[in-house]
Amino acid sequence: MTTEFVALEGKSRGYRFFAAVLAALAVAGFVSFIISYLQGHQVFGSNNVIPWGMPIVLAIYLIGLSAGSLILSSLTYVFGKEEYRPIARMAVFLAIVLIFGAMLAIAIDLGRPEKFWRLFMFFYLNNMKSMFAINGILYGGYFIISLVYLGIIFSGGHRASRIMGIIAAGWAVLVHMGTGAIFGFIAARETWFSPIKPLEFLSAALTSGVALLIVAVILTLILSGRGLKKEMVASLGRLLMYFIVILLILIIVDKLTHLYSPHREATLYMLTGQYSWIFWGFQIGLAVVIPLAILFTPKFNKNIGWIVTAAVSVVIGVFFERYYLVIPGAAYPMQYYPGKIEGVWGATGSFPLTPVEILLSVGLIAFLALIFILGLKYLELLPPGETVKEVVKENEEEARPADNAAETSERREGDNEGE
Amino acid sequence: MTRWGMVIDLDKCTGCQSCSVACKAENNVPHGSPEEHAKRQAPFWHKIIAVSSGEYPAVRIDLIPMPCMHCDDAPCVTVCPAQATYRREDGIVIQDFRRCIGCKYCIVACPYGARSFNYKEPEEEEYHRPDLPPERADRGTWPFPHRVHGVVEKCTFCFHRIDEAIKEGKKVGEEVVPACAEACPAHAIAFGDLDDPESQVSRLLASRQWMRLREEMGTSPKVFYLTG
Repeated sequence: MTTEFVALEGKSRGYRFFAAVLAALAVAGFVSFIISYLQGHQVFGSNNVIPWGMPIVLAIYLIGLSAGSLILSSLTYVFGKEEYRPIARMAVFLAIVLIFGAMLAIAIDLGRPEKFWRLFMFFYLNNMKSMFAINGILYGGYFIISLVYLGIIFSGGHRASRIMGIIAAGWAVLVHMGTGAIFGFIAARETWFSPIKPLEFLSAALTSGVALLIVAVILTLILSGRGLKKEMVASLGRLLMYFIVILLILIIVDKLTHLYSPHREATLYMLTGQYSWIFWGFQIGLAVVIPLAILFTPKFNKNIGWIVTAAVSVVIGVFFERYYLVIPGAAYPMQYYPGKIEGVWGATGSFPLTPVEILLSVGLIAFLALIFILGLKYLELLPPGETVKEVVKENEEEARPADNAAETSERREGDNEGE
Repeated sequence: MTRWGMVIDLDKCTGCQSCSVACKAENNVPHGSPEEHAKRQAPFWHKIIAVSSGEYPAVRIDLIPMPCMHCDDAPCVTVCPAQATYRREDGIVIQDFRRCIGCKYCIVACPYGARSFNYKEPEEEEYHRPDLPPERADRGTWPFPHRVHGVVEKCTFCFHRIDEAIKEGKKVGEEVVPACAEACPAHAIAFGDLDDPESQVSRLLASRQWMRLREEMGTSPKVFYLTG
């Protein structure tokens, strides 16, 4: 299979309009960040009962998407699955953009974001027992490793990209299990405290990563007028299906272990309390039931439209899984003393969604989307188009015929090795 | 080795909230507007919880004053990435505003809800007081010159009082106690050295039944409650 990669032309009206909208949203997000920095976190919905809000939800969600996306790219570069090669570069680039966004989200959530460098003073100013400090190593290393990985892919070394792919995918697994450990190691919060959390996070990461990749790839390919391989989408859909099944098993096991132990009030609250509709409607309904129903039905699981529907549903559902974990998961009051704690200290927490916080979240996502489409324009990430824009592409390819030829021949060699 | 601890006699406690008020006054903790209280964004270093058990007419109410427990194995110290929370030699778990990055991980990890985030710029930023000694003279004056928003605060066992008393040779636990213990009209709060068998707290613990909150967390708190 010969696959060359080209950059998006990025001169169309739609592209410019889209970029302008995203840039405006990103500026709005930046302004709301400045407001939150000057006024303090009183402009957020978080409080002393539910200390973490939307930025942390976004952070763990983006890390999940990033890790999932990167692990998928390794299918091509490590395991030699050629059907995914057209999207592999995009997957790596997406992973880099998303981990950058995740680190940004964590910095936004800090009360004193100007002191973020304290998270990276490993073994000197840091307490290395803290999962945050360990994750500082994991996230920072992951960002650098993915950049190197993308660089090697661009330079076209097949062996090097394979080795780097193994390192990057392994590191991505660590990154997401570390993120799960942030929650899983907290003994004080019954709903979070679980050894399954890292694995649950990893499977949620893979699920949402594949789903987002399906959405992003199809959107990009269709909007830029490129052809779409039906088999590739169908096999991504099958992959998504397996991941969802694993995720479902882990969710059930996690909830069962929490319900079995005597400290089950908080989990019961999560399953039947005032916010349980988020769990049943979004986490179970959108992230598990609907996509599984689509992907298990033979009539639908070959159809691109249905697979995209399933993928969108998973992307939204897993977002609400994160939301549900971070915000209602902390809402149940802690049992300081046996009995019913009266008054404000025993009340379940509430979390108002404030305008600043929403704008901040939307702005952050818009900023990442902007980086992504700028990347498509200035980096060679896309498989070449076959339709209208072919003329332009050919001109671009003429500019670097040698590179492309070298890449292609090396890939052919690699293919033979893989076989 | 000194290990400062607190013993609260629940039989004497009337739930009058004097300790909470005294704490706010002593440490200049912001009061919080009614809106902030409704949003649960007002900081508290000390609180009193009322716990009911049983059903009418056999209802029992327990009033539990809750400062920071100053755990020997404190989850907040374990999770703080920036070493902003640390356990002093004398067992007091302290929060350094200069190091705190405001990640709120300690609020999440604390099993006692003892920590508060500073959600806005406090109107009274003063924390530096000339009557208090500098904690680290080699690095200038008081480590927390003034309050800022975006950091986590907590009870300090009034370490400034303790440090000053030791410097002046006064007896901690008899002449000098934390603000909450001083303010208690029922003398329900005793403070002293847990490792000293002659101290008032040790004698109370030896003579009465006591319990600690959330023992199952394995944090080994240094605030003890006398129950019978």
